Amino acid sequence: MADSSSASYIHMVHHMIEKCLIFNMSKEECVEALSKHANITPVITSTVWKELEKENKEFFKAYEERQSKQEQMSEEETTQLIQKIISDSSKESDE
Amino acid sequence: MLALSPARNSTRDDGESEFRATSCGFSINPEEDFPEFAVHGDLLDIIDFDDLFGVAGDVLPDLEMDPEILGGELSDHMNASSTITTTTSSSEKTKSQGKSNNKKGISGKGEEVVSKRDHNETPVAETVVNYDGDSGRKRSHSSSGSTKRNPISNNEGKRKVKKVDWTPELHRRFVEAVEQLGLEKAVPSRILELMGVHCLTRHNVASHLQKYRSHRKHLLAREAEAANWTRKRHIYGLDSTGANANGRNRNGWLAPAPTLGYPLPPPAAVASPPVHHHHLRPLHVWGHPTVDQSVMPHVWPKHLPPPSTAMATPPFWLSDTPYWPRIHNGTTPYLPTVATRFRTPPVAGIPQALPSHHMVYNYKPDHGFGGPRSLVDLHPSKESVDAAIGDVLTRPWLPLPLGLKPPAVDGVITELHRHGVSDVPPAASCA
Repeated sequence: MADSSSASYIHMVHHMIEKCLIFNMSKEECVEALSKHANITPVITSTVWKELEKENKEFFKAYEERQSKQEQMSEEETTQLIQKIISDSSKESDE
Repeated sequence: MLALSPARNSTRDDGESEFRATSCGFSINPEEDFPEFAVHGDLLDIIDFDDLFGVAGDVLPDLEMDPEILGGELSDHMNASSTITTTTSSSEKTKSQGKSNNKKGISGKGEEVVSKRDHNETPVAETVVNYDGDSGRKRSHSSSGSTKRNPISNNEGKRKVKKVDWTPELHRRFVEAVEQLGLEKAVPSRILELMGVHCLTRHNVASHLQKYRSHRKHLLAREAEAANWTRKRHIYGLDSTGANANGRNRNGWLAPAPTLGYPLPPPAAVASPPVHHHHLRPLHVWGHPTVDQSVMPHVWPKHLPPPSTAMATPPFWLSDTPYWPRIHNGTTPYLPTVATRFRTPPVAGIPQALPSHHMVYNYKPDHGFGGPRSLVDLHPSKESVDAAIGDVLTRPWLPLPLGLKPPAVDGVITELHRHGVSDVPPAASCA
């Protein structure tokens, strides 16, 4: 009853967090996304995230590292990418 | 219109040449006749051959035999005359009435036509011409679903074919008649009798019946899918909560019965769809202003309606309830299932273009753990995130994308309690 619904709810939140992880989102981003798109209370998201972290320490450790690496290098490249996209789209519209 | 048949026969007997002369200016050329049809104002369009002959004998009522034979001919006018016999026999078979005179007439016609066909394709044209009153009628009937005006009406001396307007009321009677007979046994002529509507010809009914049957099949498939989905939701135990204040979880899970106010519990709804759905659907789909909206639940698994539209629709469903009980008692059990799956998406805020977002989403896993960094990852688009999350909400049975070890439920709950969250899932609105 309450247990199974809680369990399934938590599972669902877990699932959603995994989807966010695929997007390489940070915990905060994930909390925000879940709250925004699925109306999951931030505290629930963050709790589930923490528990997941506990269960999958290695994964999250590596995940964190990757996150920080990305943050360092990506800015210029992101800008470049955006500029490229803009020029591409303007080319398309010209044609 | 029905009374015209004898007249037509006699006219035809008099001289097919006469027919040819008067018929819409058809020149009897075997194959050319057909192109001419096109010339005569979308005749080919009107002649819905599939409708006529797609279902062997089903569509063609036991009018004056001719249509059945001719139908066989028309569909296979290129082929040997044996087709006619086949069609004829199949027509006979399907016509459960098995009126002997009809049969005789059919074979007679078949022979007649066959012999003619042997010479050349003339009979085809003849037959086409012959019953052009009929065919006119037929065309209009076959197109009744598409409600096209029959151009044959320019035939002097031929019946004006009435465009059949399948109003909800008319359709309701049709459905009632079909059910009384049983769908398998529902024969157009019987349906017509049961309906007691005089402005309908058997062919009108026949083509409508064919459409109805194929539509039902689609609906059955969709409802089965919906039932499956609903059952899976039960497995996830979200429906059983029902304990949520308004029966609706904040995150979008819906407890169908309480939310919609239907007295019957979801399991009953799941069980009943195959039985009842056909009561519900046709009225919505045909000749009814609610067609568009009713289609939405059908396509729901593929195209989730945008939240705004979807939110508007549940009232539609509820307001529609009076329709159903009026016709079929006890059909309401089905509605919760339908409306349930209909309402869930909006709450989840699922965008429509799910598949495309999925593509974006799927791109991510390519670079795995320490793989090549993707720039796009940094700021995932809202839509893709929304889509991914929505995917979880709508299809919770999907496997976890990463397969991380799930957290201990107790641990989570304890933690939540510590933070002051007692309810999982919470009934309070989102913070």
